Amino acid sequence: MMSLMKPDMQMDVSFYKVEEIRHLTDETFSLKLPKARFAFKAGQHISLGIVGGNQSREYSIYSGENDENLELLIKEVDNGYFTPRLRKLKAGSMVEVHGPFGKFGMEPELAASGKFVFIASGTGIAPFRSIVHTYPDIDYRIIHGVRYSKEAYDREEYAGDRYTLCTSRDKGGDYNGRLTGYLKTCKFAPETQFDLCGNSNMIFDALEILKGKGFDRDQIHCEVYF
Amino acid sequence: MITNDKKSVAFKTLGCRLNQYETDALVTDFSNAGYELVDYNASPDVVIINTCTVTNQSDTKSRSVISQSARKAKNAVVVVTGCMANNFKEKLESQENITFVVENNRKSSILSLIDAHFSGEIVHPDQLPLDVFRYQPVHKSLHTRSAVKIQDGCDNFCTFCIIPMVRGMAASRPVADVLESVRKTVENGFREIVITGVNIGRYEDGTVRFEELLAMILEVPGDFRVRISSLEPDGFGDDFVKLFSHPKLMPHLHLCLQSGSDKTLLRMRRMYDVAQFRKTVTKFRAVYPHFNFTTDIIVGFPGETDEEFQQTLDAIKEFNFSHIHTFKYSVRKGTRAERLENHLPEKIKTERSLKVRDLSVENKRHYFETFIGQTQDVLIEKISQGTVSGYGEHYIPVHFKLSGAQKNMIKKVKLTGIVGQDDEMYLMGELVD
Ligand SMILES: Cc1cc2nc3c(=O)[nH]c(=O)nc-3n(C[C@H](O)[C@H](O)[C@H](O)COP(=O)(O)OP(=O)(O)OC[C@H]3O[C@@H](n4cnc5c(N)ncnc54)[C@H](O)[C@@H]3O)c2cc1C
Repeated sequence: MMSLMKPDMQMDVSFYKVEEIRHLTDETFSLKLPKARFAFKAGQHISLGIVGGNQSREYSIYSGENDENLELLIKEVDNGYFTPRLRKLKAGSMVEVHGPFGKFGMEPELAASGKFVFIASGTGIAPFRSIVHTYPDIDYRIIHGVRYSKEAYDREEYAGDRYTLCTSRDKGGDYNGRLTGYLKTCKFAPETQFDLCGNSNMIFDALEILKGKGFDRDQIHCEVYF
Repeated sequence: MITNDKKSVAFKTLGCRLNQYETDALVTDFSNAGYELVDYNASPDVVIINTCTVTNQSDTKSRSVISQSARKAKNAVVVVTGCMANNFKEKLESQENITFVVENNRKSSILSLIDAHFSGEIVHPDQLPLDVFRYQPVHKSLHTRSAVKIQDGCDNFCTFCIIPMVRGMAASRPVADVLESVRKTVENGFREIVITGVNIGRYEDGTVRFEELLAMILEVPGDFRVRISSLEPDGFGDDFVKLFSHPKLMPHLHLCLQSGSDKTLLRMRRMYDVAQFRKTVTKFRAVYPHFNFTTDIIVGFPGETDEEFQQTLDAIKEFNFSHIHTFKYSVRKGTRAERLENHLPEKIKTERSLKVRDLSVENKRHYFETFIGQTQDVLIEKISQGTVSGYGEHYIPVHFKLSGAQKNMIKKVKLTGIVGQDDEMYLMGELVD
């Protein structure tokens, strides 16, 4: 599949050596690669393959546009094909990166003037960390839905009053229950822009809640992982 | 004059408008180079099969056309190109009945490959230049309408779709090239051009987006009309709606809804919801009440519940699509939807597909009925024993009697009734002088 997507790509340009693997939980880790050799918009995704393998998957870029490393946030999925293989990578392993892709990305003009609410389930927080790294002064709030409080990936990087953790399976969150339960209780300014990322069921429910609160669909942008 | 060593070529095309356009451009190339255009039953020297891989059915059809062509044109050079050539390159290359497999991004140079072959040079298709926009403006064509390609590829990554893998990422043809191609196509005598690409709404060349490009195309001098091939419902501004008041731009859009369920649309990773689609349709119909919308619908997408399917039926009724391309969902290897849960049995897909078809026919009849007593300017495309047929401005099929008719004429016709059933349905009319 990789070779089908970019048959004419110079192989060496898309190959990256894994520099570091940061283990964030038992299942979730970040892959730190050398600085991206392409320009991207915070929020976009890439397609990742393992050199020598024949499959690829999409991953949102976890690092900022100008960060020294290209970083990805990955959760190993039970019975998944690709993530158990990614899990076995070590510093020095070679991966293949194509992209960037996608319209889910922050426009610089908007970042300067807009008011944002980022709504993420699980690793769906990845594009929002990229945005916050790229635009440290952006006016944002993150609502992050996970099962356990240990899944609050790199929480310390976000100002405390901007990050709300919702945990559905333990009591360690700022809100104990599903993200959508919390969302129902929130009030947002009418001009807020909403960015939603993660699984399609969460996105569907969150969309319904936001539309119910009177927000226009054009104010809401979605990135569906599965 | 046909000399003995004049070579002959036959074409077979499967799939979308873009493929048809690319074949037409190749026909122009080969005909300018002195090749004779023949049917593939007539022992051609070269057979070019422009394949499609969008569904399993297209794969099956493409495969059957390849083997039929190779069987019928025994000594011919057989060239397989198109999306299947990208998707199954190695497999096709290993087939003995195929001489060359040429990927989409090298398709525009097939003539030089064949010329080299006949002059004894050994050229591998992978040595051909990479260019998805090299095509000449169409001159000699298999169709009355000519397409103009403005864009190729797509990076929406809808979960069901193989296109990003076989057509590559979105790329736009430079504005100047597009306008030149339109000018030449009009000079070559075409009265109707169809703006074509994989995801043309995403056209972007510098600051020029699709709407601006379209406005420029409409200002190209000449007596011609413009159609837009299929379009993604990505949200259109009022300026786009206004453009349709231009007499050259025909009041029809093939706007791909795919599903009437917001949940299904999210699983498909489509970028809009039904309410946004509704907004577009409402905007158009408020200004142009007769505006024709046709669409694509996928039934039986993984996880599609009865309720979600019902929402699709409701949407079809509400938006009154006059024609629907119904696709039973079929797994494309390597797409995200392949890995989604709850794939549906074929039986359910078939039942749902039949329901959509029935509704589509009902809608078509209702839509056609609204034209009885109205007039349409019809571009003549077929002539058979005094009866001519073609499409009116709204892309409705019209038949009428005319002696001395020629293809490519545009005639004003008053519509008098509906004839035929199902997909064969058309409007009958009388010439208005
Ligand atoms: C645009 C885009 C960006 C993405 N970005 C990320 C990212 O930043 N980090 C990331 O971990 N994944 C991301 N994904 C998902 C990723 O592409 C893979 O699907 C995922 O890593 C699982 O791959 P797999 O082969 O192991 O399992 P697959 O065989 O692909 O999937 C098996 C099943 O696992 C479930 N699943 C898929 N992804 C996840 C997930 N992240 N968490 C929980 N369950 C899941 C689904 O139900 C899926 O049907 C993204 C997907 C898209 C479309």
